[in-house]
Amino acid sequence: MKNLIQKTAFAAVVMGGFGMATTVASADEAVPGLQNRTIGYVLTSANWGLYQTPDGKQECPDGFNEGPREQFKALYPNLGTVDGTQLERESASRYPMDKADNFPYHDVKGKIGIGLNLDGKVGENDFTSTDGEKGIDNNLYRAIGCTRLFRAPDGTYANFTDLWVREMNFNRVLVELTNVDSLTNDPAVDVTIYRGRDKLMTDATGANIMPGGSNRVDYRFGKNFITHMKGKIENGVLTTEAADVHWPWAVFLGRPGAYDFKGARFKLALTGDKAQGLMGGYSDIDTWYMQLVRSWSTHHSSYGGLSQPSFYRALHRLADGYPGPDGKMTAISSVLNIKMVQIFIEHEGQKVAAASDAKAKAAH
Amino acid sequence: MRKRGMRKQLLIGFAGAAAVAAFAAPVVKLSAAETIARAVIPAEREEAQKVPMPPVFHVEYTELDGPVFADAQGRTLYFWPNTTMRNGVTGDPKNQSMCTDKVQTHTAGLMSPYPPGLELPELKTRKSCLDMWPAVYAADDAKPVGAFTVITGKDGKKQWAYDQHALYTSDQDKVPGDVNGASTKGGQGDGPAARDVAQVPSAVPPGFLVRTSAEGRMLLNDKNYSVYMWDKDQANKSNCDAACTRSWVPVVASVAAQPQGEWSIFERSPGVRQWAFRKKPLYTYALDAETRSQQGSDIPGWHNVYVQKAPAFPKEFTQQDSETGVVLADAKGKTIYTYNCADDSVDQLSCDSMDSPQSYRLAICGGGKVERCLRDWPYVVAAKDAKSTSRTWSVVEVDPQTGHAAEPGKGLKVWAYQGQPVYTHILDKKPGDLLGNGNGEFGGSRNGFRAFILRDDFFGGR
Repeated sequence: MKNLIQKTAFAAVVMGGFGMATTVASADEAVPGLQNRTIGYVLTSANWGLYQTPDGKQECPDGFNEGPREQFKALYPNLGTVDGTQLERESASRYPMDKADNFPYHDVKGKIGIGLNLDGKVGENDFTSTDGEKGIDNNLYRAIGCTRLFRAPDGTYANFTDLWVREMNFNRVLVELTNVDSLTNDPAVDVTIYRGRDKLMTDATGANIMPGGSNRVDYRFGKNFITHMKGKIENGVLTTEAADVHWPWAVFLGRPGAYDFKGARFKLALTGDKAQGLMGGYSDIDTWYMQLVRSWSTHHSSYGGLSQPSFYRALHRLADGYPGPDGKMTAISSVLNIKMVQIFIEHEGQKVAAASDAKAKAAH
Repeated sequence: MRKRGMRKQLLIGFAGAAAVAAFAAPVVKLSAAETIARAVIPAEREEAQKVPMPPVFHVEYTELDGPVFADAQGRTLYFWPNTTMRNGVTGDPKNQSMCTDKVQTHTAGLMSPYPPGLELPELKTRKSCLDMWPAVYAADDAKPVGAFTVITGKDGKKQWAYDQHALYTSDQDKVPGDVNGASTKGGQGDGPAARDVAQVPSAVPPGFLVRTSAEGRMLLNDKNYSVYMWDKDQANKSNCDAACTRSWVPVVASVAAQPQGEWSIFERSPGVRQWAFRKKPLYTYALDAETRSQQGSDIPGWHNVYVQKAPAFPKEFTQQDSETGVVLADAKGKTIYTYNCADDSVDQLSCDSMDSPQSYRLAICGGGKVERCLRDWPYVVAAKDAKSTSRTWSVVEVDPQTGHAAEPGKGLKVWAYQGQPVYTHILDKKPGDLLGNGNGEFGGSRNGFRAFILRDDFFGGR
């Protein structure tokens, strides 16, 4: 009964909006991507949510952070041995607490931020969103917002990690909504995150990703990325309950990696051919840091003023969620700006062999 | 199959004993019982093209890199391609050798962000470029043959060159068939200006390529896409029907193509000729989105084609699914890592062997502290009765406190790949974890650790 009522209501909304057709269309007909109460989307863009003013003076009144070159010059004005300089700095990236770090680190100081109210509270350190919502939790923004590497569009990390969302199949995030009766209002839908296997469908120029493509679920190597969530759709906006998410995002060529979000949730505006909005959650700080160290070399970090040892301290100082046994916070509030297009998700070959199977071993 | 290969190898080994003896004493101290005399070349080995060469050279067959040129003593020949680095160029220009006997004392600043002029480690024992890469000198009356020519260095000495590249041997190679100086274990992208093996061109027809992979010498088409074979085919006869060919595209031979060696051509339908290798009809897989893919081999009965398989991994090792593909793992399923290192001198000398300065590795694996390295990046200890199974996979004895080779019987017996110990990582908790991969300078390409990936579905393979 719910199904029929909602389909009719949705059709009426659609038809009313376009002022056409007098016959009642089903939801499936009105939204081509919605078939069998299921619609899929594929990630086409992702950026850490940073609120930026053009010159950065509002959020970073003390300026931007200095990076490896500047710190090296300050520490070793007369150069020295490889062991005592270069390798000491490389050690510091991996074991940052071995030695003191006396360089200033600039946190974001502004009051406006992008994100979600993850803890359901309005605290004095919370940001206010650009549309006035209070209680926004995004301390990762505080930690990285004054480091040029992470600021779009010029920061190389921001630029390339977004580009590689599209270019690397490793990062092929699929979001499937099932049990959907309406993309406008539906009090209960199921949301599943998968990793796909295939390239994105583009137009003839190759520059624009088109809705309507297909992508196979990676059930073998991508099984760690499969996450189920409960959600609802209100006025065309999907919100989900919180879940822990292992999010595939190789942030450098040839370096597979992922971020671990605790209590992650979506807030996405949906249409039949795209979805756009936020995914917020508490990022595990150790995973975040090691992903950076393994992927962004000291050289590449130098392009945008990122000192890894200095950033490590900021990440730990600003962590604000999920205290560990010692009481120290293990995660930091964060948000991703994400864009998706509609896609048909193929669930082929769910039963796949694993390399550890005896058969696979014998084959070598 | 393996038994036949071993037998043939032993015969070769016997015949080559004199050549083995001619090698200089190994720098790395391995006990005789723990090493084997020669490379283990399978019976189905890669065929080399017949290439004219001076009598002082011959073809050696290697476990990982197929047929290579070697000097009279069986030492693999290498060259040093001119390479553009982050802040300059190094390596040999054509018909010149930049490798000298001068011991470099400071970094050249070829990489970034560190400035040039830093004093290199352990200068008292540091080797010169020619110490590590002995030049292959030519006799005064040496004459060019084919692509082999004679160049004259700045010191007036005559040196052999191949395809206009000055030739060297490697001090890391101990016996014929070793390719321990090769770039197969090296980095990508921002890796060092590495030396390349002087490979003998593989005897494949036009339209095919062979590339080194962790599983063996992989057959590809000339666009780098994988080539497959099917169990249900017969000798020089395809049973892949019209429906089958929607997924499996026969590799067709042109009208002018001729069979050669292990390569045959059969007519799959009137006027359509298909290539076969070792009598197995060949195909590409329509769903392969990436080059060098192994995804087609997930379909039962279909297999990638290797003109020569790599040596077997140690028996106690396992293979595990990771988030990027299949990785090599120890008996408990922990991912295996290799350590790669090259310094930033103008010579770009490697620093990842047991006789190299260990400060590079210690900086990455433990912030300079040995005990932390042993905790965070433990060696893969060999089982008590473990023995070297090939030149590629060997049991070596290491002094854990120094990282250098130990006297026979006095060290920790660990597994080594191409002569260098392999490791696991403390952050890997469950089989398939890869949390140490890329840890090091330039993602582990220059001074750091890289996972031993057997199949990479996303980044183009190892």
